[in-house]
Amino acid sequence: MTFLSLALWGALAFETVPSPVGHWRGVLDLAGGPLRFELEIQRAGRQLRAKLCNGSECQTTDARIVGDSLILDIADYAATVAGALRGDSLTGSYRNVGNRGPRTIPFRAGRGRWPKSAAPRTLVGRWDATFLQDWGTSPRVFELRNGPAGLEGTIISNTGDYGHFAGSAAADSFVIGRFDGSFVYLLTGKLAGDTLRGIFHAGLRSQTPWKAVRSTGKPHLKSPLEVTGADTTAPFRFDFQDVDGRRVTNDDPRFRGKVVLVDIFGSWCPTCHYAAPELVRFYQRYRARGLEVVGLAYEVTGDTVVDRRQLRRYRDKFDITFPLLLAGINDTEAAAATLPQLRGFTSFPTTLFLGRDGRIRRVHAGFYGPATGAQHGRLLREYEREIKRLLEESVNSESEQ
Amino acid sequence: MPLTFRTLVIFPGLAVLASTLAAQLPRDLAMERSGYVLWLKEGPNSPLAAVAQQKVGGGLRLGPADADIPLPGISEHRVYSSGSSLVLEGPDGKRPVGRGAPHRIGKYALYFTGPRPGLVLTVFSDTSRREPPGYYDYDDSMVFTGPLSRSKTPSQMRVLASDGIEVEATEVGSFVVPLGGGTSLRVLRIPVASGDESELEIFFRDASNGKGTYPAGRFVSLRPLPNGQFRLDLNRARNPFCAYSSVYPCPVPWRGNTIAVPVQAGERYEGGGLEAVPAAKEAR
Repeated sequence: MTFLSLALWGALAFETVPSPVGHWRGVLDLAGGPLRFELEIQRAGRQLRAKLCNGSECQTTDARIVGDSLILDIADYAATVAGALRGDSLTGSYRNVGNRGPRTIPFRAGRGRWPKSAAPRTLVGRWDATFLQDWGTSPRVFELRNGPAGLEGTIISNTGDYGHFAGSAAADSFVIGRFDGSFVYLLTGKLAGDTLRGIFHAGLRSQTPWKAVRSTGKPHLKSPLEVTGADTTAPFRFDFQDVDGRRVTNDDPRFRGKVVLVDIFGSWCPTCHYAAPELVRFYQRYRARGLEVVGLAYEVTGDTVVDRRQLRRYRDKFDITFPLLLAGINDTEAAAATLPQLRGFTSFPTTLFLGRDGRIRRVHAGFYGPATGAQHGRLLREYEREIKRLLEESVNSESEQ
Repeated sequence: MPLTFRTLVIFPGLAVLASTLAAQLPRDLAMERSGYVLWLKEGPNSPLAAVAQQKVGGGLRLGPADADIPLPGISEHRVYSSGSSLVLEGPDGKRPVGRGAPHRIGKYALYFTGPRPGLVLTVFSDTSRREPPGYYDYDDSMVFTGPLSRSKTPSQMRVLASDGIEVEATEVGSFVVPLGGGTSLRVLRIPVASGDESELEIFFRDASNGKGTYPAGRFVSLRPLPNGQFRLDLNRARNPFCAYSSVYPCPVPWRGNTIAVPVQAGERYEGGGLEAVPAAKEAR
């Protein structure tokens, strides 16, 4: 076959490209095996939209037809998924670009949905895992459960979770994965006796062996309250501009005498997107009793115009009515330099709880998203309990003065 | 209907695929190469567009002819650390700059990469010449499968990655190829992207160096297989970025990683043809 005939074949396909609308069984072919995800293409007027789903969790992105190919533009991560449409199949690649060039992972899909598959009782539950890395070990927790889309779960580290995973199980083995346009994760495991063993795959080729035993309830991870330290002797100070360029400081009247939640976040951070609606909910519920919330954003470009635009999108997405301040760039060290009253700042998001006197009472590094199930619910109850405690404590202490 | 530019964008592997179909280039390798070539030709941070690279150290002056990095047509800018922050200061004021994202000054894009200390600034130009590399025909006798002999005590060391940036790597073991009477190649795990991702890399030399391939050697990734074995495909051997532009430092060859016979597979080097135009010469 010549180059010309290949070109003609490609060009003719322009005219006969089938409609991509509908459900697709998506696969990224990693070195260690296939990572499955659900893909749904929808038409809204003249526009195409794509839903990338890991089990019951989906995200929507723009889609378009170019020539004979379906292209998904994942703008937040400067990534694309492209596949040539041939009847009931899509074949192409997922790409994003780093400093050493593009990361390219083979992509394919067939029409339809992946069959749902639940796991036996012997696999579901909470597991204390140890990642066996070349240079040592590090702890994780696996949460495996049967959900509406079959086997679901997540991986939790010292500073948060890896998001929602979905997959299947057969007898004593399981495989769950997550692909959200940026993160490419696959967890495979097999039960032998009381111990689960398997491989954690990240990206095309990174593979980390692990082993896990059923959780006894004793702490396996470092407490998120122990990750970052704080100066609690003086009021927490901040002085940044909001999305409209107005200066906002901790001395402003809106914060005076209030309990304040400080959300240290970035619009680029998926876990922050899970935390934002919860903070909005707390704000709506407790504002009248003296709660304020302020977001300190650490964004990607350092270009004020671009970063403010991203922040406005974030504000509108979650209907945020509390101030979002552009505090800096998403470099942990640079961010830490703007927060001199914190020690060991390592995690986005980090939430500070300030009493009515403005001093830090609690620092929570990371956030457990909905994928963590019970842990997510417990965290929200802890947050709420702490907010109420601070609101009441402050009233009492003020009345004592 | 003529072949359009759009078709090439949609299916950028077409040209590579067509020229190598007879050699049965695997689909994933064709795709990888076409994506890489496209990035080299068009990417804003392609090493073929690099015009300068320097460690930030105590600070850098950019722009004027006598600056640390002369950038014709650009007024004086400075890059320096302020506390733990990195600041870019120019006629329009100061702005914080982060790693991994482009910061534009005129037609130049500035990227900061690598850990502190040792942060490196690379400057790219929109107008640099882009000559993509060539490849040897695919040779399936250059693909080897075998075990990774793991080190009992993996050691950590600082090495230059393919992009000339110093990274903390872990020597994880060795892989034997049956070339040159059997050659044991050291394998290092080199971090990529964020957190959880890394590559098992081999930087090797062979008898073709300077005679069709880059004189300092080439990188190739060792790929894990589902059965616990590993695959080394020397058709995937690629040049360090110093082959594309003299603005990049070349990694020191890894001790012992020399194959005594020519490896005529993977990326070629024609010698000098890939060199980007230094910024200082560009304006002349």
